[in-house]
Amino acid sequence: MTEITPTPPLQPIVPAHHLRVLDGAQLARLQEGTLTLLEEVGVHVPSEMACKIYAEHGARVDFRTQIVRLSREVVRKYMAHAPRTYTLGARLASHDLQLDGTRLYCTTDGCGVETIDFTTRQRRTSRKQDVADTARLCDALSSIGFYWPMVSAQDFPENAPLHELEASFNNTVKHIQSETVMGERLARSAVEMAKVVAGDETTLRTRPPLSLLVCAIAPLAQDRDGLESALIFAEAGLPVGFMSMANTGSTAPATLAGTLITGDAEIISALVLIQMNTPGAPVFHSLMPGIMHPHTGDYLATAWEGTLLYAAGVELAHRWGVPTLAGVFGTDAPVPGWQSAGDAASSLLLCALCGAETGAGLGLVEACTLLYPEAVLLDSDIYHRVRIEAGGLEITPETLALDVIRSVGPRGNFLKHRHTRDGMRQRKFSTLSNQRNVDGSPADPVEVARQQSEHILKTHFPQPLDTQQQLELRRILEAA
Amino acid sequence: MNNLPPLEPLRPAYRLSCMTEAQLAQMQAATLEVLEKTGVKFPSQKCLHIFAEHGAQVDWETQIVRMRPDFVLKALQSAPRYYTLGAQVPEYDLPLQDGVSYFTTDGCGVETVDLESGLRRASCKADTAMMARVADYLPSIAFYWPMVSAQDYKRTAPLHEMDASWNNTVKHVQSETIMGEIPCRYAVEMGTVIAGSQEELRRRPPFSLTVCTIAPLVQDTHGIEGSLVLAEAGVPVGFLAMPTLGTTAPATLPGALVLGDAEAISACVLMQLHAPGAPVFHSIMQAWADPRSGAYLSYSLDSRCRYAPVEMAHHWGIPSLGACYGTDALRAGSWQGAAEVALDPFLGGLACPEIVTGMGLAETYTLLYPEQLLLDDDLYQRARYYLMDIEVNEDTLALEAIHNVGPGGHFLAQKHTRNHMRDYFVRCITQQIGPDGKYLDAHEAARQKLDWILKNHHPEPLAPEKQAELTRILASADRELNAG
Repeated sequence: MTEITPTPPLQPIVPAHHLRVLDGAQLARLQEGTLTLLEEVGVHVPSEMACKIYAEHGARVDFRTQIVRLSREVVRKYMAHAPRTYTLGARLASHDLQLDGTRLYCTTDGCGVETIDFTTRQRRTSRKQDVADTARLCDALSSIGFYWPMVSAQDFPENAPLHELEASFNNTVKHIQSETVMGERLARSAVEMAKVVAGDETTLRTRPPLSLLVCAIAPLAQDRDGLESALIFAEAGLPVGFMSMANTGSTAPATLAGTLITGDAEIISALVLIQMNTPGAPVFHSLMPGIMHPHTGDYLATAWEGTLLYAAGVELAHRWGVPTLAGVFGTDAPVPGWQSAGDAASSLLLCALCGAETGAGLGLVEACTLLYPEAVLLDSDIYHRVRIEAGGLEITPETLALDVIRSVGPRGNFLKHRHTRDGMRQRKFSTLSNQRNVDGSPADPVEVARQQSEHILKTHFPQPLDTQQQLELRRILEAA
Repeated sequence: MNNLPPLEPLRPAYRLSCMTEAQLAQMQAATLEVLEKTGVKFPSQKCLHIFAEHGAQVDWETQIVRMRPDFVLKALQSAPRYYTLGAQVPEYDLPLQDGVSYFTTDGCGVETVDLESGLRRASCKADTAMMARVADYLPSIAFYWPMVSAQDYKRTAPLHEMDASWNNTVKHVQSETIMGEIPCRYAVEMGTVIAGSQEELRRRPPFSLTVCTIAPLVQDTHGIEGSLVLAEAGVPVGFLAMPTLGTTAPATLPGALVLGDAEAISACVLMQLHAPGAPVFHSIMQAWADPRSGAYLSYSLDSRCRYAPVEMAHHWGIPSLGACYGTDALRAGSWQGAAEVALDPFLGGLACPEIVTGMGLAETYTLLYPEQLLLDDDLYQRARYYLMDIEVNEDTLALEAIHNVGPGGHFLAQKHTRNHMRDYFVRCITQQIGPDGKYLDAHEAARQKLDWILKNHHPEPLAPEKQAELTRILASADRELNAG
């Protein structure tokens, strides 16, 4: 029988300092821009169900074109129902996430479609076992507050999103956020699975073990299956969020402010719908625009000017009074290396300092599509650098160590002092950089990360679901 | 010869203080206590005499100087808060000021990965010259630290580094290697040639000097005596403390910072006693001892408050030399080379030191891969854009363009897109497209850009008479210092 290993306590980023990248006047102007777009241009909503809800609650709906326009009053009225703080539950209460604005919890990236095979190192289509393995890997990492199924379970084409959930629930005790459960049928099964994991209706609503992220379609359109899925999740009390990935220059105007309000309008129109249907439903806002490469048309997550948009998205979410899922990590790099590391740190720190509650995602390359097993460990190293940096400095008589300095004096050394022995144990060093191979030669941090990922997969086995819960999930899957 | 593109210093639209006023006051009080009770060793009779003449408590046997808080604060009153670092051309003068951070290269490495052979070898004067030309081209580099040592010139290497620099960049040059009274007198002579006169040397000094202190709480004889010469001439000098947590400094960050602060401040006090009003700057670059090997590590996982020294310098009322980059990675373009340093220019910009070192070296400031400067430059530019304001106005909100496109359309055909796309997409090094239509590897793109700069960029040369004067001074220095 496999020995169960404890899941380490989470280490969210708790910033000691805060900053703003937009002032009150800029935020007001942006919000006013969003309201103008919602009122005058509207949003395309290709769902009869959603259009009816909008119409019943005071929106102007053109059922022929499926364009929904929302007055300022309607937007403000329904956004007022959205809670500012709530809890994302985990299988273990110790790993619940309090979205209260004091800390940032990060998740993995998702949902990739290819994997560098853990054993053969060959590139191949992703499958369910990859989801299970990465869930277990992430369960062992204190940097990962909650888990996005990192890749698609493409060996189960019919119900891949549900298989991703099963693989996740069975391999991590942490909260799961899906980015793929789309459409009424899948959503109802997913809610049923969440009920099994939560155990009862009250826990499902107070400590929901599952949430959903839905992508809008830029510019100013919603995905039918995504919206309908979100409505079902929200009715069940499961948090739902909407992400805009408006692309400056192609699916958004070629200015940052124009991109921000286009994306914001997409998100807010969906959040209003959720509040119309289920007032008080926990929702979140996620603005992750890119900038179009003018030669290739590619969505670039990491263009020089683009990354400031993520922090601006955090501040817009808070302006509306809802938590955010911020864009952190996420790289256009083809392999883990200089580019992926260069892309990661500043965005994470900036979003943390701006007060983001959640952020995605660690561990994929090639613009969120390709999984290298070691990438999540490399990103985790950067996460901890930022976490410690954001945590501030403790200045006390003990840390000032004046007596120690006096006793050592000019030209001495601190090696033998007890204060040094105690202090050095508290200092944190990278477990990837500056390591040595067995023969004493310098080890490549990427290779060290690969070895560590292998070790975790060999040794880390988190608390499993009860047998009964496992069987129930299996039954739901088979029924689907 | 090329036109002069404007420098691109960091001008952050938003700032962050990582320490409160109370914490800064607490740190300053601790430094003053160290200076008063523990003292700093000045192994120089000249320095000890200056301190004694001005009322410091000097122990002539141990060479330890102790100074009261009021003595320190009074001496520092004459230190200017801001001044100008001059360049060969006024356009590249650096008027130190609040809200602007000017960056330089790293230095002074001792090995170079040869551009042609790809082999690692001892650095030489030609490397310093080559990198000065690259630095001259980059708008991110506001002034130049000779990146590697001119080891083909023995004891006059520091002066040859200056010669190579001034002949290959019109920007301000800051040395980190000219140590000792005699070399510094030669450097002042060279600087006077570049400036044109002693008065211009004071008004727009074309060079400055960074001197390392020795942790814990010791000054370097040659470094401190050379600084006195430069301070007399009005050339800016700064003192850089490099306390290592666990070996030459306490294993707690505030303790290490206070120790480094005491070293830097004691030297700044000396400069003000000797040449009141001399332009000085302050710098602390804390590092860590690897607990297993004792090796000096520039970056631990716990690099918190890396820019606290900037706030400490400003609390004393003097400019700060911030410490960015300087990876422990062994190769250019590696994961570690970005993971360690990518945050630096952004965090540095938030703290906003007046001057900042230093881009472009690997292996903890010792190894030059010429192309690494281009990679570090890319991270710098990323931070510069991060720190800019987002313009929110009628034009940038683009409501009309959005109206025109409507839900589900695209913006490609909009005039607004054509007008703005060039401003809003600045191609970084990872977004360069190769002949095959695919993105170039960042390292390869850096190499290509480097080759282009070396082939095409030729800064305004020194006037022939100035070149001749520098050569004459160097020959004299070679005769005096390299004899025997």
